[in-house]
Amino acid sequence: MRSPLGLAAALSFVLATAAEADDVVRIGWLSSLTGPLSSAAIAENQGVRYAVDEINKSGGILGHPVELLTRDTAGDPVKAVNMAQQLVFSDNVKFVIGPVNSGESLATVPALSKAGVLNIVIGSLEQLTDPAKYPLAFRTINTNTQWISTANRYAIDTLKRSKVAIIGDTSGYGASSAKTAEALLKQMGVTPVYSVLIDANKTDLSDELNKAKAAGADVVMPWTAATGLCARILNTRGDMGWNVPIVGHPAVMALPIKALLNKSEYWKNVYASGYVSTTFQDGKLPERTQALVDVIKPALGGKIDFTFWWVALGYDSMKVIAYGAEQAKSLDPDKIKTVLEHTSNYPGVYGAYSWTPEQHNGFPDSGMRMNAADTFQDGSYQPAPY
Amino acid sequence: MRFLGGLGATLALAALPLAGVNTYQLHVASLIAVYWILIAGLNLVVGYSGQISIGHVGLLAIGAYVFAALAGTHDVNSWLALIASGLAGGLCGLLLGLPSLRLPGFYFAMATLAFSLIVGELALGLGDLTGGGVGLAVPGFPPPFASPAGFYELSLALAALTTWLTWNVARQLWGRALLAVRDSPVAAAGAAISVYRMKLTVFVFSGVTAGVAGGLFASLQSYITPDTFAFDIGMFFFVCIIIGGRGGVVGPLLGTVVLTLLPEVVAPLARLGNFFYGLLLLAVVLLMPEGIGPLLAAIAARLTRRGRPESRVVSPDLDRLRAALADEPR
Amino acid sequence: MWPVIVSGLAVGASYATTALAYNLMFSTSKVLSVTTGQIVMLGAVAGAWLMNSLGWPALLALPGAILVGAAFGALTEWVAVRRVLKRSDEHLWILSTLALATMTQQAVALVWGTEPRPFPRLLPQSFEAGIADQKFWLPIGVMIAAVAALEGFYRRTMWGKLFQATSEDPFAAEARGVDTGRVRMLSYVLAGALGGLSGFAAGELTFAYFALGLSMTLNGFIAIAVGGLGSSVGAVAGGLALGLLGAFATYLFGGAFQQTIAVGALMVVLLIRPEGLFGARGMRAV
Repeated sequence: MRSPLGLAAALSFVLATAAEADDVVRIGWLSSLTGPLSSAAIAENQGVRYAVDEINKSGGILGHPVELLTRDTAGDPVKAVNMAQQLVFSDNVKFVIGPVNSGESLATVPALSKAGVLNIVIGSLEQLTDPAKYPLAFRTINTNTQWISTANRYAIDTLKRSKVAIIGDTSGYGASSAKTAEALLKQMGVTPVYSVLIDANKTDLSDELNKAKAAGADVVMPWTAATGLCARILNTRGDMGWNVPIVGHPAVMALPIKALLNKSEYWKNVYASGYVSTTFQDGKLPERTQALVDVIKPALGGKIDFTFWWVALGYDSMKVIAYGAEQAKSLDPDKIKTVLEHTSNYPGVYGAYSWTPEQHNGFPDSGMRMNAADTFQDGSYQPAPY
Repeated sequence: MRFLGGLGATLALAALPLAGVNTYQLHVASLIAVYWILIAGLNLVVGYSGQISIGHVGLLAIGAYVFAALAGTHDVNSWLALIASGLAGGLCGLLLGLPSLRLPGFYFAMATLAFSLIVGELALGLGDLTGGGVGLAVPGFPPPFASPAGFYELSLALAALTTWLTWNVARQLWGRALLAVRDSPVAAAGAAISVYRMKLTVFVFSGVTAGVAGGLFASLQSYITPDTFAFDIGMFFFVCIIIGGRGGVVGPLLGTVVLTLLPEVVAPLARLGNFFYGLLLLAVVLLMPEGIGPLLAAIAARLTRRGRPESRVVSPDLDRLRAALADEPR
Repeated sequence: MWPVIVSGLAVGASYATTALAYNLMFSTSKVLSVTTGQIVMLGAVAGAWLMNSLGWPALLALPGAILVGAAFGALTEWVAVRRVLKRSDEHLWILSTLALATMTQQAVALVWGTEPRPFPRLLPQSFEAGIADQKFWLPIGVMIAAVAALEGFYRRTMWGKLFQATSEDPFAAEARGVDTGRVRMLSYVLAGALGGLSGFAAGELTFAYFALGLSMTLNGFIAIAVGGLGSSVGAVAGGLALGLLGAFATYLFGGAFQQTIAVGALMVVLLIRPEGLFGARGMRAV
């Protein structure tokens, strides 16, 4: 009974993946649209899709229309690898954007690069790009180090603090970010007075914050993407009446935090790493950001109640592929790689990207900007005081 | 007879790379084979001895991390690393089973659940060994098993070997003893079956297969992080067996193939994911508690000559009867 | 030190109330339902939804959450337990309740979202109350009230005695004209109501979060296993012990190994004394 059924299953599986026509450019998009941390992926998806529409309206890439193949990985690394393989070998794509989560990306980046696919990386962990190991992987998002050093410089150099308390969470991202934060602080000559990893679901943080206060901390730096944990840190600080600045991960200024706060003023004196592109300067957003906001706002339902740089990131990641192909006058990933490696200040919305043969992280340090958390408006923020 | 059938099927499957199947399909086929190595062993625990283990993902994780740490970080030969993962899985199976198998059913299930959560926590916490949240890169096997086709043949061979082993256990006295333990532990004990020893042996065996599967899984994924081993996979393994039908080997195998292929082929299912598995499990438990395997077997038996009632005619051998009746009483 | 103790007691109290729900369901059906933790989660989520999205005041949302819990308890009984018990296979109910629990968790994730959402302040109280904050004392209060109510129920009311009769010997109870099916359904409804109340009371502590269910199932179970199945005192003792152990493990060793220490320590207790601290060693006729 096993033999015929097994063969039948195999046959139907093979026949289900027929080859397709060659006029379109197929671009794969690995996105965790459901599952944990899906809010970022959903916003980035808006950006990617809008860019595809825009490209197709003006004739496609080198005359070929773009076909976007979206795959929902649900935050599962096993699914991410399966879908990456499917995109490459069954759907014959030559370009892939994503995945969104660093955990998924760690598994897919090597596989995609080995398969000769140009991969636009949108996860922040440092290990995801390496010109030698993954020659076809180019990153558009900032790196984790950029997030952390921007915040560190603000806390130490601008706010002139010296006794740092680091709070990470027990997830993979949180634990490694906290470690990197400590290392980068030590490079600046500062040793944290208190450092702890908290389970993201822990309900009461008064103990940890009291210990931080007892250690004499004059700034608290959270490195966690977990909304609940960020909110609890802010609540505990406020309930304790401890007026210490909080400087850290952008999750601390995400809009859902506002609803979780005991009092809205607990959002004051909170600063996070943000971007020039989504910071109001004298009441106005940078030109390119405002232009994108204006055209995409109707498609988003008329209001923007999530972080806008996600949308800009998705939009830029798609446009970078188009740019590379047009400059190289070819759809060959290797030729596009050469073009990208000699790109300097490509003007995206989210940032101005530069890559070199030795450096595949495109986002410039100058694109980072500290934001004040309680100034959320239409996805962007006011700058933190200098 | 059955053995030849199984051998034939294995050879046919081994020819798959020659049938023009692409790398992605080989990847999924390898994944099915790797899952099946674990599930075949787990089948003995759940299907045959009736222990509800929902935390086998913890043993998978242990096998995976041992392999990754040895073969990846410490450059040990991949084959030795694979053997080590099997042994580690068996050892942890022993450590988990020794205390927990004495507990009644639900307690045991919760103990396995707790075990998988603890393994997850340790994977994150023991950063020096496991790379913590960032995880570990995992190398492949030396040629000819380095290519996707080669790896597929390797996992297929190990899967076939595991199937043969578990089939033997199921067919021999052991298998019947296990079924007795599952259906009525008291009666089994009354028949001089060492219930605890049997359960423990089977559980350790399932630990070894889980460990080996973990090593292969890590190599196939090429990178492992703690969130690769979420509770959901543990549920998945378990559901494959129940859907396929406890007490059989072919049923769970079919269950594994179908449930692994389903999200790949039916895209909306990927979104529903675990809701779908829960729904499927509930439906099977309520409507077909014996699983789909026995149902299909019944249909198959009906279709073949052996199963049809008309063919089971009993006709007496009258000559022999007369001769027996004519025998002088002794 | 005091914040550690108080927060440990509060979390432990919610474990204890979950354990009491386990007890209730077990008492009439000998079933330990995996859905117990999901009931607590639903209480918190339903409460948050009623108060935040629909704008109901806390006084109305409380019975609302209790009703949701009770309905889910009834659903558990009707779908996952009743039919399965008829087949008299020892462990199928583990599978059916596990399936229902998974479906519930995923359905809530799809509908409510995967981020923890806010649970509003129930009683007017300043946020600087420290260890006297209601988010600690509401779960503890609910636990004490539940224990008192259950003891009164078992000892003084007819239904309570029916529960005890059904749990001790269902056949004899049926022979005396007790509709065991209805008694079982009632016990599940009560357990659901209790779970819903517990979730609502702990909402300020946990936020309304879809993933609460699984860990509550496990922790509530450990509480009742260590405390002893069938004993209310055991449920309280087990729950508080687990809560305090977890809080102190984090306090002394940091959060990275909290689960390992707490769960591991209690598994050890289970091995030494499988019937729990206050449980009775069951004899089974063979």
